[in-house]
Amino acid sequence: MIGCEVRVTAVRFAYGEREALRGIDLAVGAGERVALVGPNGAGKTTLTRLLVALRRPTAGRVTVGDWDVATKRPDEMARRVGYAFQHADQQLFARTVADDVAFGPRCLGRGRAGVASVLDELGLGGVADLHPYDVPAPARKLVALAGVLAMEPAVLILDEPTAGLDRVQRSRVVAALRRRADAGVTVLAVSHDLGFVAEAADRIVAMREGRVATDRPARELLYDREALAALGLRPPTTAQIGMALGLPGSPIRAHEVVDALRGTRWKEMPE
Amino acid sequence: MTALVELERAGFTYPGARSPALSDVSLDIAAGDVLVVTGEAGAGASTLLLVATGFAPRVVGGKLSGQRRIAARRCGVVFARPWTQLTGLCSTVRDEIAFGPASFGLPRQAVLDAAERAMRELRIAHLAEREPSQLSGGELQRVVVAAALALDPEVLALDDPAAELDPEAADALYDVLPAIAAAGKAVVVATPDLERAARVATRAVTLEHGRIAARGAPADVLDGTEPALVARAAGCPRPYPLDVPALVRRVRR
Repeated sequence: MIGCEVRVTAVRFAYGEREALRGIDLAVGAGERVALVGPNGAGKTTLTRLLVALRRPTAGRVTVGDWDVATKRPDEMARRVGYAFQHADQQLFARTVADDVAFGPRCLGRGRAGVASVLDELGLGGVADLHPYDVPAPARKLVALAGVLAMEPAVLILDEPTAGLDRVQRSRVVAALRRRADAGVTVLAVSHDLGFVAEAADRIVAMREGRVATDRPARELLYDREALAALGLRPPTTAQIGMALGLPGSPIRAHEVVDALRGTRWKEMPE
Repeated sequence: MTALVELERAGFTYPGARSPALSDVSLDIAAGDVLVVTGEAGAGASTLLLVATGFAPRVVGGKLSGQRRIAARRCGVVFARPWTQLTGLCSTVRDEIAFGPASFGLPRQAVLDAAERAMRELRIAHLAEREPSQLSGGELQRVVVAAALALDPEVLALDDPAAELDPEAADALYDVLPAIAAAGKAVVVATPDLERAARVATRAVTLEHGRIAARGAPADVLDGTEPALVARAAGCPRPYPLDVPALVRRVRR
């Protein structure tokens, strides 16, 4: 898998008279893991939909690698950009989980190659033969993500990929995204879950009222309590622990905090 | 305190399913409770909400076993996917929230008062004139919670209510739950968000494979919060700290 740059230049978009995007400039490079955060209604989902031609900007330009998105249809974009919707049920339709995941690769002429390994990767091996609507809603979300991963896109766009997932499922998603990014895939994830962001992203782009409010390395922004507060956000638990105890290295991932706390002498009971 | 809902060895099987989603659940839910129901995805937390509020099997079909007594005169349920709860008939958020009380035939002013009160409690007064179909997922989530609250239910069941919310809105939503319970209602929340749940819960239940695996005080049941997991992995002895301040207090400097 080889990723490609996603570039958004001076993009504006309006729903009728309500302007949702008010001049966005953003570039995400191959192999980058970027989280798109911000309050509800900031324009995050709208922006991602422009990247796959599900919406057309009212002004500005969007490119994915050497493709000008304005010249492409959504089905053409799907060959290069995988998009997992916020609500998985919008993209499940086959009779079994395995068939649903295989739909994309089949359309690309790859048969069922890679389907079983993606199902295993996301812990779905045991439900492969079930109807997608017979598995719990969180697992359906993973089925939709598996379908996107199975297409091996150069760019992955995920809208709230961890909403409703339990801790084990969330860690599987984090690991899957890390593997793809390490292989050069461009990853852009919309998320309110700063715990997930801390584990999965290296860079955070925060939106507010249709604009990019901030664009900083994750390790830096997640330790900037004031900047986060201005965005209506709080540091994730890992960074809160790091700040409260003055842990070295600004740990943001759980294993980093655990490593920093090893050797700690604990009080037996809380005071 | 009189129970609003009593379950005794209750079980539930969805239509067409081979095995039960819920088995052998005995539980009382009373006014003043903020009962948090947690468990891994698919453990049965959402099903327990449906059974406890009477939606299962009445609305979803399936088969109930064991004993269930619902003394609450009205139960409200907010589902994890808020758009499934829109009426599709209202062009403003205010009308959407007023729809429930209006359908009970209340006087016009009482309907409007209920809608305004619910919007105030959920801090969405600024959305009153917006069209529901144009709201973001998080805004919509708060609208459907307000719509459920406007019905003045004695039991308010919320299925992963902050899944679509930004952190500030999620905190705000959880913050109103104790006040709702203190006003004489029972609040039941199914959620994987243990840290927010631990802040507001009066009692907690953990489900595994449809059965109650643990129940009791939040400190005893909700020990899968991130601070608890981090502390455990770093060698902290039990009881594990549930939140960051508790973890910090445990560190011997």
